[in-house]
Amino acid sequence: MKMIIKGGIVYDPANGIFGEEMDLCIDQGRVIEQAGGEVIDARGLLVMPGGVDAHSHIAGKKVNTGRIMRPDDSRLGTEPRSGVCRPSTGYTVPNCYAMGYRYARLGYTTAFEAATPILEARHTHEELAEIPIIDKGALTLFGNNWQVMECVRDKDIPKLAAYVAWGLRSARGYGVKIVNPGGGEAWGFGANVKSHRDNVPGFDVTPAEIIRGLAEANEMLRLPHSIHIHFNNLGKPGNYTTALETLELLKDIKPGRMRQVVHVAHMQFSAYGGTSWRDFESKAPAIADYFNTHSHATMDMGQLLFGSATTMTADAPLEYGNARLTHNKWSNHDIELEESSGVVPMIYFRKMLVNAVQWAIGLELALLVRDPWKTLMTTDHPNGSPFVNYPEVITLLMSRAKREAEMATLHEQLPNRTTLPVIEREMDWTEIAIMTRAAPARILGLTDKGHLGVGADGDVSIYSIRPEDVDAARDHALVKKALSSALYTIKGGVVVAKEGRILAAPEGRTYWVDATVPDADHDRLMPEIEDKFAKYYSVQLSNYAVQDAYLPSSRVIRAGLSVEPAKSARTLAEVA
Amino acid sequence: MRTVKLSPRAAFSISVEAECITPDRFAPLSLSEIGAQPVWLGNRVMHLSELFMVEGDDCTATAGDVVIQLMGDFSRVKRVGEGMSAGSIEAWGSVGMHAGNNMKGGLFAISGNADDWLAREMRGGKIIVRGDAGNYVGSGYRGEKCGMRGGEIEISGRVGAFLGEHLCGGSIRVQGDAGDFPGAANQGGSIFIGGSTYLPGAEMSKGTITVKGEAKVLPSYQRTEVVELEGEAYQKYAGDLVDGGKGELFVRAL
Amino acid sequence: MTESVMIKDAVCSFCGCLCDDINVEVAEGKIQRVRHACRLGSSKIMGHSRMQTPMIRKDGVLQPASFDEAYRRAAEILLAAKKPLLYGWASTSCEAQKKGVLLAEEVGGVIDTTATVCHGPSVIGIEEKGLPGATLGQVKNRADTIVFWGCNPVEAHPRHSLRYSSNSCGRFTEQGRAGRKIVVVDVRETRTAKNADKFVRIDPGCDYEVISALRMLVAGKGDVIVDTVGGALKADLAALAEMLKAARFGAVFFGLGITHSKGRYKNIDNALSLVADLNQHTKFVIMPMRGHYNVGGAGQVLAWSSGYPMSVDYARGAPYFNPGETAACDLLGRADTDAALIVAADPVSNFPRETAAALSKIPVIQIDPYENPTTLLSDVVIPCAIAGVEVEGTAYRMDGLALRLRKMVDSSLPGDEQIIAEIIKNIRELRQKAEGGA
Repeated sequence: MKMIIKGGIVYDPANGIFGEEMDLCIDQGRVIEQAGGEVIDARGLLVMPGGVDAHSHIAGKKVNTGRIMRPDDSRLGTEPRSGVCRPSTGYTVPNCYAMGYRYARLGYTTAFEAATPILEARHTHEELAEIPIIDKGALTLFGNNWQVMECVRDKDIPKLAAYVAWGLRSARGYGVKIVNPGGGEAWGFGANVKSHRDNVPGFDVTPAEIIRGLAEANEMLRLPHSIHIHFNNLGKPGNYTTALETLELLKDIKPGRMRQVVHVAHMQFSAYGGTSWRDFESKAPAIADYFNTHSHATMDMGQLLFGSATTMTADAPLEYGNARLTHNKWSNHDIELEESSGVVPMIYFRKMLVNAVQWAIGLELALLVRDPWKTLMTTDHPNGSPFVNYPEVITLLMSRAKREAEMATLHEQLPNRTTLPVIEREMDWTEIAIMTRAAPARILGLTDKGHLGVGADGDVSIYSIRPEDVDAARDHALVKKALSSALYTIKGGVVVAKEGRILAAPEGRTYWVDATVPDADHDRLMPEIEDKFAKYYSVQLSNYAVQDAYLPSSRVIRAGLSVEPAKSARTLAEVA
Repeated sequence: MRTVKLSPRAAFSISVEAECITPDRFAPLSLSEIGAQPVWLGNRVMHLSELFMVEGDDCTATAGDVVIQLMGDFSRVKRVGEGMSAGSIEAWGSVGMHAGNNMKGGLFAISGNADDWLAREMRGGKIIVRGDAGNYVGSGYRGEKCGMRGGEIEISGRVGAFLGEHLCGGSIRVQGDAGDFPGAANQGGSIFIGGSTYLPGAEMSKGTITVKGEAKVLPSYQRTEVVELEGEAYQKYAGDLVDGGKGELFVRAL
Repeated sequence: MTESVMIKDAVCSFCGCLCDDINVEVAEGKIQRVRHACRLGSSKIMGHSRMQTPMIRKDGVLQPASFDEAYRRAAEILLAAKKPLLYGWASTSCEAQKKGVLLAEEVGGVIDTTATVCHGPSVIGIEEKGLPGATLGQVKNRADTIVFWGCNPVEAHPRHSLRYSSNSCGRFTEQGRAGRKIVVVDVRETRTAKNADKFVRIDPGCDYEVISALRMLVAGKGDVIVDTVGGALKADLAALAEMLKAARFGAVFFGLGITHSKGRYKNIDNALSLVADLNQHTKFVIMPMRGHYNVGGAGQVLAWSSGYPMSVDYARGAPYFNPGETAACDLLGRADTDAALIVAADPVSNFPRETAAALSKIPVIQIDPYENPTTLLSDVVIPCAIAGVEVEGTAYRMDGLALRLRKMVDSSLPGDEQIIAEIIKNIRELRQKAEGGA
């Protein structure tokens, strides 16, 4: 299918295009030099690559638990079936169909599930397969895994790398996710770790060692993405020190590809100062300072917005704390040998000082970090807010006037706890395109996404906004409206959404990573895995891995031995 | 005063959903426009007039001036009066589930019985039932912390289980017996039960429940003093202590 | 002469334990022997005499018909209905359940699972309180205190205690049974109770009060509690509370004894809160003992498709959920459904009599491998291949873990998924004809 998008004002930062009027051509699902075919008139309108969401909770046990325990949420956002659409339900925990349609309406064409335990990856893939339109992937949890901790204790990185490769293949996962390392295992008996230097009970390792070990293994395997980490002590006043110390741990790791060595999930929740909720304050400036002076780390915002949310995370002790604090219903799910998780509904209030400061912190982080390539725009859906509210976050970043209007409605002590009121910076379209398209793709290592160079996937979003005529800072309401419903969303050269209507719901692809390791390492690893299945797991090894049937449409990225070392002076050590 | 009369044309094999039957919806419409309002018979959309005879004053009015009279058996018609904010509905027989859902104001009088979920998530207004009502009178929706927040419900007969579950405000008076677990998880409001009931106020955190008949009381309620209400002696209890609740339960002392 | 093949690590498709260590010997296209399964699972896998031919009721009598005729007749019945009920789903694969949801959307019907007569109240309890749980392997590796409340796994889930609970061994539970305290709370002394360390007998219908009393004792507010609650002595309950608080890792398993006694979902609601309260003192999890092997899967499929795990009404195009109104028993009990499709369930046997009687007054389509009492009331009967024996598919264990069911032998019969797909195809054709033609 051929298509030519004419005359759009294109923002393709990955290819050095910052608002140029140009035509885009797509054929057979990819961007090409020239084409005829269907003509889409985009003259004067904002055109960007399709959005890429690098951190969202869109599929799997946690998400479904959220649905099951929240009929009060499922009854919101209800739409009957119509045209090519199956019914939609849910606001913070949408059903699978709504997930796909709503991302498409926003102009997003790729979204990644942030956290999947290997044992329950089959469920994640069942749900991913039900989400229409978008391409997707799922990060695999490793930070509380018994095999990982034993390899780290034994300082055997090659064996750890073999396990990571094996785990990714079993889970058909895309990358290494680490959540409250060590704390998830401690939660198995109701405890937690208080710092990344604590000993994990029963395992003789510290979270710091787990993190470094996994980072080394990640780079040894030359995985497309870096480790993706949710810090220990997330959500606690004063936790910014944990964030900085953890980042320091990793600055000497050599990346196996041309990218960061660590990506920080939802930085907002780990940028807290103060010693209690009473003197709670933002430490975004200190965090931003670190990101401004170091190049080994990237982050996503994890922006909080007022109103309803559903918190769901592998940080189970955090969720238990949330539930007790807010007297809320609480789901918990610990996964044998691997992880923990929790789900708790939440409401964020303007007049609650703590929530107001949290809201400010996310924005501060993005505005104070100079390089937009380091900061992704996310809300840690649905923890900070559902992703349908992304246009709200974007307009807050682009308009100081909007920020000021918002702050006027919040708790009056806010200016004492955050520097947001004095920040003048207003992001422009190039920076937004970087934070929502080019950077997430690069950070994830998705070479065909987030840009519109020849050969890229034909994923394009066109908005009813004229970037050359509109003052985004002043007319933020117009901008928000335009971003909430793309004029056209094009996926693989097919118009999937037009002015809010879903026109086509093709199946998206699931990305996963297949990394090869030396046979010797694999052979040393397997007896330990077999032993764990014989003694500890409640399922048989032969039934563990995700079978082909669960990936009807996939794209495999090779890594490990089959990949060339990074072409730079900073190549890594020989693979053992 | 504008009166509109509805009567079913036949008995309904499948329940009907007719949330358009409210003074607010009818007020600005002519009789034939009222007849053209959509109602659902299972998965079939139909016009109101296909299932009901529509008669009465053919003039527009404000919602507050509209009286809707339901003549005949509406026991299989659901969601009548949903969201109404003014005016009145007089049901001369029984009504189906979800009568007066989300009611905000006005008066809904039922001379027969009401089915389950009468006045779910009510906000204001008044409902009177001369017969009995079913389960979940004045309750909330599954998973919500708060159900009914305001308004008054008066029932002459008896009611089923879960009376006023998740009550946050407003008052409910039942002359007869109430089924199991009235006033469960309540955070406010008041419930009066003229007859007997079983395990009232389970996990109540605030609010008042008065039982004039007999009641099995939860072990997590603490007897406090005997008080006099309307000339009768009542044993007062504090609870539900299982969650540090500060509700008040009065059960007639015999 | 074919040699016998040993299929290892097959998944048993009988109960919520979903044991996946079953070895099945197949020869000459038939299952010869089943190893490691309990007698319930063995019996399921070995199978017994099956229906082979579709049937359509003509002149009051079920007569043989072709599959195509049966699909067409089923589609006609469902299309004509104003509120068709699609019920069952618990004993078939997720792949079939997904098609069931699509069918419900297409015909504007209500889809419900056997949870309605089983753990439906647990779902409602979870909607109030959430579910503080874990995978079964956590219990195996960590639990030193296990409570069975209103359930009798020795009889209903025979391999549960060895694989997952009382008699299992794990990393932190090397002593197995010897290192554990097993508690049973029930109205009578079951076989499970006889093997327990502590049995607390309570009066029928008193679970709610007993749990409230326990919660008070756990919270140190025992002064308010009187000497007997629900037939149990305060002293016994106080001892139980201390035992639970002293656990290193406690697990509560519960069943129909508590979901279907007086109080119903309030009982579960309170039990979930008890476990949440216990987490203030030590680690505790709770889990429903799901009966049918894939009722859990039906709940997961329905939830990700519609937002709700059971009793979903699509009559108005968008999913509506209100158990008490949209559950199978509600619709049948009120004669508020005019056609039923029964898949992988036997409501005539398992429902209260009046609701089963309601089935006799409406057209019924049955999809099942076996003849059962529901067959006698059916107007269209479609025999199917058995998921987990003859058809691959996905199922979810009682702790929410998904496993892939094997195909062990061939069958000439279509699977549920295929049958429902054919019915959907017929529905679309009939609809197109009605819209296109005059």
